[in-house]
Amino acid sequence: MPVKGVKQAPIVVEKDSVTVRGIELKGQWNRMFEPRVIDDYDLTHLDRVAALSGGESIEFCYQCGKCVPVCPVDVVGNYGPRKIVRKLQLGVDLTEDADLWLCTTCMNCLRVCPKEVDMIKIMPAVREQAILDGKFVPPELQKTFENIARYGNPQGESPRKRADWAKEAGVPVPIMASVKRPVDVLLYVGSYPSYHPRGKDAARAMARVLTALGVDFAILGHEEKEDGDSVRLAGEKGLYETLADSTIKTLAKYRFNRIVVFGPHEYNAFKNVYPKFAAENGLAWDYAILHYTQFLAERLDQLTPLLKKPIEITTTFHDPCYLGRHNGEYDAPRRLLAAIPGVTLVEMGRSRENGYCCGGGGGGMWLDSFAGGHQKMRLSERRVQEAVEYGASLLSVCCPYEVSRFEDGVKSTGNDGKLIVRDIIEMIDEAMRAE
Amino acid sequence: MANDAVLIIGGGPAGLEAARGVAGLGARAILVERRNNLGGAPINERYAALTHGFRDAEEVMNEIIAEVTSEALIDVRLGYSVAAVAGSAGDFTVTLAKEGNGHSDVVNVGAIIVATGFQHFDPGRETQMYGYYEFDDVITLQDSERMLKDRNWVRPSNGESPKRVCFIQCVGSRDRHIGNEYCSKVCCGIASKQAIEIRQQVPDCRVFIFYIDMRMYGYWENEIYWPAQEKYKVQYVKGIVTEILKKGDKLLVRGEDTTMGRPVEVTMDVVVLSNGMEPSAGTKEMARVLGLKQNKYGFIEVPHDALNPTATSVPGIFVSGAAAGPRDLDDSVGTGGAAAMKAVSLARKLARGDLQLANASR
Repeated sequence: MPVKGVKQAPIVVEKDSVTVRGIELKGQWNRMFEPRVIDDYDLTHLDRVAALSGGESIEFCYQCGKCVPVCPVDVVGNYGPRKIVRKLQLGVDLTEDADLWLCTTCMNCLRVCPKEVDMIKIMPAVREQAILDGKFVPPELQKTFENIARYGNPQGESPRKRADWAKEAGVPVPIMASVKRPVDVLLYVGSYPSYHPRGKDAARAMARVLTALGVDFAILGHEEKEDGDSVRLAGEKGLYETLADSTIKTLAKYRFNRIVVFGPHEYNAFKNVYPKFAAENGLAWDYAILHYTQFLAERLDQLTPLLKKPIEITTTFHDPCYLGRHNGEYDAPRRLLAAIPGVTLVEMGRSRENGYCCGGGGGGMWLDSFAGGHQKMRLSERRVQEAVEYGASLLSVCCPYEVSRFEDGVKSTGNDGKLIVRDIIEMIDEAMRAE
Repeated sequence: MANDAVLIIGGGPAGLEAARGVAGLGARAILVERRNNLGGAPINERYAALTHGFRDAEEVMNEIIAEVTSEALIDVRLGYSVAAVAGSAGDFTVTLAKEGNGHSDVVNVGAIIVATGFQHFDPGRETQMYGYYEFDDVITLQDSERMLKDRNWVRPSNGESPKRVCFIQCVGSRDRHIGNEYCSKVCCGIASKQAIEIRQQVPDCRVFIFYIDMRMYGYWENEIYWPAQEKYKVQYVKGIVTEILKKGDKLLVRGEDTTMGRPVEVTMDVVVLSNGMEPSAGTKEMARVLGLKQNKYGFIEVPHDALNPTATSVPGIFVSGAAAGPRDLDDSVGTGGAAAMKAVSLARKLARGDLQLANASR
């Protein structure tokens, strides 16, 4: 800058470190907030992850990048499985990194990964290690673990109130301990249909539909507990094992032909995870497991004549990750929707195998505040926008995590009045109410 | 006086296979090798394990050499080079000169196979600043092979066991400045193979490979690349190194980690330059003596025909192995056998006076 008409060289003062208002700042931070140059490939943490049981495949990644475009978290933030591998290669301790808690275990990366890098095994293993090492665990998740450990449900509600929803079902809901005889169907309700206000709506609808079909069913009532699959995926393996042990032993007391579950997460637990746990611990576990959409789809001949009331609406369907990608069931929910008179189904771009994630899986249900700090918007909000973009007036779901997530998303994205969210069982129940 | 004898120039893998092939067809082979030993690059450069298959190079080559030298139909001429050629397909008169003593020999053959191979690119010519001749601990693939073969993979500067080693791919290949625009085909596989061997011999040494694209075609993918990564924990980093500087007693490797979009400045104990292939001096000389067209890189030109990989611009003269361009061992040996079949069948057709057939089978 000229001073009195003479050009003066700028005076630049650069210190290695300076203290501002008690905060010590490194000189390099004056220019950028993280050191830019990679001056080491410290493989300590990569080796550590690879050494974990379940972590082995982290080293299979050859950075092709196929996983990133399909990762639902990357769509709303800066994330992606291959990026995690690179961070590890660069010396980042994943047990101390926020990325550790952002994965929803939706499995879309594994679906497209040519090397089968299995984040569904890697993430829970590293989370478990982080918990064992006493590293930072998001407080809301920690609180959920405590609730589940103490009360058997994530909400921290009284276990005694688990079957209270049934009082307003309008039909009798038998409890296993009281019926004292074998039943055809053990309905495993799950924590959200038991306690969440909107979940309870779906639970009541379920009781009415089963009754209308003449199904001989019963629930566990206050003996039922959180299944623990999301707890396991969120890294609390010990708590998961306690819950699995308890559920397996509770069910062993009763006689029934099949278990029908409300939630895809319970479905995954009972079908894919419990059998291994039971075998390792000398427990019996040999049940036919059905998601409720599968159970009802098998009975469409009987169900269809009961669906008399048309619901004139354009709906789209959100594939739950744990029913679709994890367990390959895409058709049963769609067959039910097709049976409801008046309903028009439009498919979103991200559907079926490439279905988007609601953000609730793998512990995401209990990490909304934390994840919100690392994302432009919630995954559920992104999904709501997609449903609206495709012209749907109703977003139909069949996972108990989703109704509350998407209803919140409808409000926060300003789509109130444009889009409603319903569980498929609620739609069936409504279509049964001939006026 | 047409005959079905075949002159094979070069005693490496391609030439040895061509000689075996000619003899196997019942024709006489004259195998000329300028050096005083057979075996070509795997023996002369003292390779450790072969890419692919991991068999000991010396052991495998000695088996093939023993077969060739014990075959009555093969006349092995060590220490000879081809000084002149006259005649045409079916009737070549070739002057062989004994190196050093001025003695020469004239032979008459029906066809000629050129198997004079390649030479490793000299990193002194590279346009980055890798300092091969400046830094003891910057070495080439063949320097590394020698240390692996001796089971003494150390830092050349001080004989110590290395803790950090990296390979830099595409040195002398895919480079317009240097003039070698082609991919040398084998370096990705060889670097990965060597990385595995280093991890086997020096287990606490971590190995990195800086690359532009990993070209691990066919079974090299599952036999070399995947085990290198999954079993031997070799670290692949996409992004090529620009320069190497000295930092204390280590090498500072500077480049870009392209998938992170960040500069890299990491220290290494040893840097291996994955140097590619160029035509050998013998290949260039034989092209001149035999009047064969060369491509812009100096390799012997194969008239553009994917289905005739052993033809040259001169009828009756065939090419096999890396004299025609970058080739791995499979392709070198494969074209050696193919050239033998082509050479013998052409010579025999000409001997029968069946020129039309001979033209059709060039």
